[in-house]
Amino acid sequence: MRHSNRRRPFWYLQRSADRVAAEIDEELRGHLEMRADDLQRRGLSPDAAMREAIRRFGDLDTTRQYCREQDRQLEARVRRGLMIDELLQDIRISLRGLVRAPVMTLAIVLTVGLGIGATTVIFGAIDAALLRPLPYAQPNHLVRIYTDSAPNRFPFSVADYLALTTQQTQFAQIAAYASRPIVFSDGTIAERLRARSVSWNYFDALGIKPAAGRAFEEADARRGAAPAAIVSYSFWQQRLGGHADALGAAIRLDGVGHTVVGILPRAVGPLEATQDVFVAGHWDPPPRKGPFFLTVIGRLRSDAARTAAAEELHVINRRLFPIWKASYQDDRATWSMLDLDAFIVGDIGTIAGLALTAVALVWLIACGNASSLLIARVTSRRRELAVRAALGASRTRVVRYLLAESVLLAVGASAIGVAIAAAGIDLVRSVGAGYFPRSSEIALDGPVLWVLAALTAASALLFGLVPAVHGSGGPVEEALRSSGRGSTGGVAARRLRRALVAAQFAIATPLLIVAGLLLVSLNQLSGVDLGFDTRNLLSGSIQLPMTQYADAGQRVSFWNELQRRTAALPGVAGAALADSRPPSDVNNYNNFDLEDFPAASGQSQPVTPWLAVTPEYFGVFGLTLLHGRLLEERDATRTDVQPIVVDRAWARRFFPNGGAVGKRLRSGGCTTCPWTVVVGVVSDVKYAGLDKPDEGSVYQPLAPQAMSRFLIVRTRADAARVLPLVRQTIHELDAGVPLSSAATMEELIDQSLQRPRSLSVLVAAFAAVALLLSLVGIYGVMAYYVQQHAKDISIRLALGGRRADVLQLVVGQGMKVVSIGIVAGLLTAVASTRLIASLLFGVNAADARIFAAVSAVLVTVALLACLLPAQRATRAEPAAVLREE
Amino acid sequence: MSTHLPMPIMQGTLDLLVLSVLAPGAMHGYGIATAVHQRTDGELAIPDAALYQALHRLERQDLVEAEWGPSDNNRRARYYTLTRAGRARLRVEAVNWRRYARAVEAVLAGS
Repeated sequence: MRHSNRRRPFWYLQRSADRVAAEIDEELRGHLEMRADDLQRRGLSPDAAMREAIRRFGDLDTTRQYCREQDRQLEARVRRGLMIDELLQDIRISLRGLVRAPVMTLAIVLTVGLGIGATTVIFGAIDAALLRPLPYAQPNHLVRIYTDSAPNRFPFSVADYLALTTQQTQFAQIAAYASRPIVFSDGTIAERLRARSVSWNYFDALGIKPAAGRAFEEADARRGAAPAAIVSYSFWQQRLGGHADALGAAIRLDGVGHTVVGILPRAVGPLEATQDVFVAGHWDPPPRKGPFFLTVIGRLRSDAARTAAAEELHVINRRLFPIWKASYQDDRATWSMLDLDAFIVGDIGTIAGLALTAVALVWLIACGNASSLLIARVTSRRRELAVRAALGASRTRVVRYLLAESVLLAVGASAIGVAIAAAGIDLVRSVGAGYFPRSSEIALDGPVLWVLAALTAASALLFGLVPAVHGSGGPVEEALRSSGRGSTGGVAARRLRRALVAAQFAIATPLLIVAGLLLVSLNQLSGVDLGFDTRNLLSGSIQLPMTQYADAGQRVSFWNELQRRTAALPGVAGAALADSRPPSDVNNYNNFDLEDFPAASGQSQPVTPWLAVTPEYFGVFGLTLLHGRLLEERDATRTDVQPIVVDRAWARRFFPNGGAVGKRLRSGGCTTCPWTVVVGVVSDVKYAGLDKPDEGSVYQPLAPQAMSRFLIVRTRADAARVLPLVRQTIHELDAGVPLSSAATMEELIDQSLQRPRSLSVLVAAFAAVALLLSLVGIYGVMAYYVQQHAKDISIRLALGGRRADVLQLVVGQGMKVVSIGIVAGLLTAVASTRLIASLLFGVNAADARIFAAVSAVLVTVALLACLLPAQRATRAEPAAVLREE
Repeated sequence: MSTHLPMPIMQGTLDLLVLSVLAPGAMHGYGIATAVHQRTDGELAIPDAALYQALHRLERQDLVEAEWGPSDNNRRARYYTLTRAGRARLRVEAVNWRRYARAVEAVLAGS
């Protein structure tokens, strides 16, 4: 480096332009005077000598200008070199200093790194779910269209869909899909696929191009067309070997040969991400308005068409309403649309906000902690800094030197942060599907990296600027004069550190309260009584391949044989079939109209879970019969009436004065069907989810010829050990029939608790980190305080002061800070916990017990953190301490 | 001392002269001028203006360093010393000059 031989010490005073000019003038004047002296010695008069000297010099002005320019360039270059030198020097010194304080350095780097990493991961998840545009062509033109019957959003029926496609003018495309379980068999294994039948224009409407082959065409959707299938990339890889010749091959779906006409690309949108196979749906005009099973997606012609399209939906719905009045009564219901991304994201705003707040607050506390530690460090180095300032280091220079330390720490922290972020994003990608929509799209790129960089920069500034400005601020002489104890400069620093610690407690308190609320909710949820013995209960879903079981008699005999053989297995106490299972798999919610209390014209009818079960079901679940009778075998085939059994919650809801047995109702909006009659009342079971209120359920006889069912088995011992026997039984009956989502009831409950549990664990873990950091903060402040006052304490004790008084004094100092923080935190919590009320179950967002418990825990541990250093101080031998001074 | 006027300095040799005069130790501008004058018996005289321009140019090029110091008669003068790069430059330029002078001498000797 050219400047290397011009290294000047950092207190070197740089020459200003005026100074340069003055020095040149002085130099040249000196020259002329020396020359004149020589000439005088040779006999010239002083005047003549000077005139001669000037004459001999030549062009004085030009020389002056030339020299100034040369010096100016030199100064500029030196200044640049000096800055780089200083920077390198700053970094070198800072690194040395940090290595000398390894515990502090590690503490800062790890905690801030954790904060940066975790905040990045959660932001990444939010970015993927909420901020990234959907990976479809022009996603802002895509909307979901639904029947709007507040608070419910219902899918469309075929009647709705056909009316919409033929009458609408504001959409470029209307597409629809319906989930349809399909059995795939390749001769040896049978498997239930996640499949959808889609309108033939589905892929075109969303702008998805198959990676190989073609999308569906209009001909595929016609009755009698050769069955065609489009498969997902992973299905192609795992089931079709990933070979190119899979295109055009025949695969057996529901026992029918389908030609694979297209293979989707590896990366697809969130609607396709969890699907294996797509077939073209043929939907014929129906005899009645229901059932409602089609999810409809529209592509707007343009942004401008939005309002017109919404209006048109209302118009078409009003036109349609009179036609179907008989089978659909709710005249408040209309058609609405919703941006597709909002539909996909659903209601995760609260969870996302809570998670992000939790991790960001921990990051903030970590920065506060780092700041506090660095202030202590600067305070103890005040003299060193003052010496530097006295030697001419500018204030900015000192600030920069201190900032270099912060930057180094921030860089270290961000390295840890990147590692945590990378690991965390992998984790969320693989297990986060249940919690965050589009979790497979989470990536450490684009805006996520920017957030990471911003967090790093903010960390450096946050925990660097305060101590830096503070450390260089005091008057130099004062700092130099004061002894090594540095007590003079300590006052402001102590005040600042205490403010930081109070802030830490103010942040940790609401976090802990929220964690407490979530944990109590979780506990309440897992304690929910489902209404039956959840041990030794096994269930699984069975889907019959449509073609082999086209004949209803075949299906009936399969189900009968299955139930008979399963019940006879060793270790099995009973077996039943149903179309639903607790705690949250309800196949059908049905509307009905009570004979005694009919819904007013135009009002929506009541809706409850409507379960189809075999008579054995009640025994398998151990439900108690309260009134009337249970369902019987022959009820399934009766045509005069439809007998149902209701549960207690249903009976209480609609017939609070009792006497539900024998009451009649019309179910499903069918006014011409036979009456449905309540024949019995049984004890309650929760079907709609652990966290939902039980609004009553209805049991009807299971149609003997259904295509798909849950097999439910009550075992005598460990349910998991009976599972292989059940599989074996099904395999022996028909190797082409798959058993899917088989699980014990405990596993099912566990699954439904997974989401609240993960959230509680996340928030609780970060609240614990926040608590720990706050404790480290108060401990550090108190340890420092005690160290600074060791002499005073020793004198007091030497003069006969009581140890308890000293302890009380010291601890009181710390607890004053802590309680300010806790009170501020409690106020924040009171104001904000109701924001997460929707995530709570069985506990009030302002639950006083939790507020009190958290405060008590905080005060106790903070007391310990204050007591430890205080005790150490009072135990020291006064004579030894005083000698040291 | 010669009786005729001093010769003008050839372009490009000025820097070499200044560097070589500074080789033994620090000197101020006036000292350099007189040293050149005396060592050549008045045959060579560096114009003062050119000398100072050269000194500041050499300083900018990091070939010399300057520092204020006391001179005779209680004045302050700017003393110049060679830097390490200046010494290296002097060695190279001196060799070049000698080769050049020998070559010119050889041509003249042949005439």
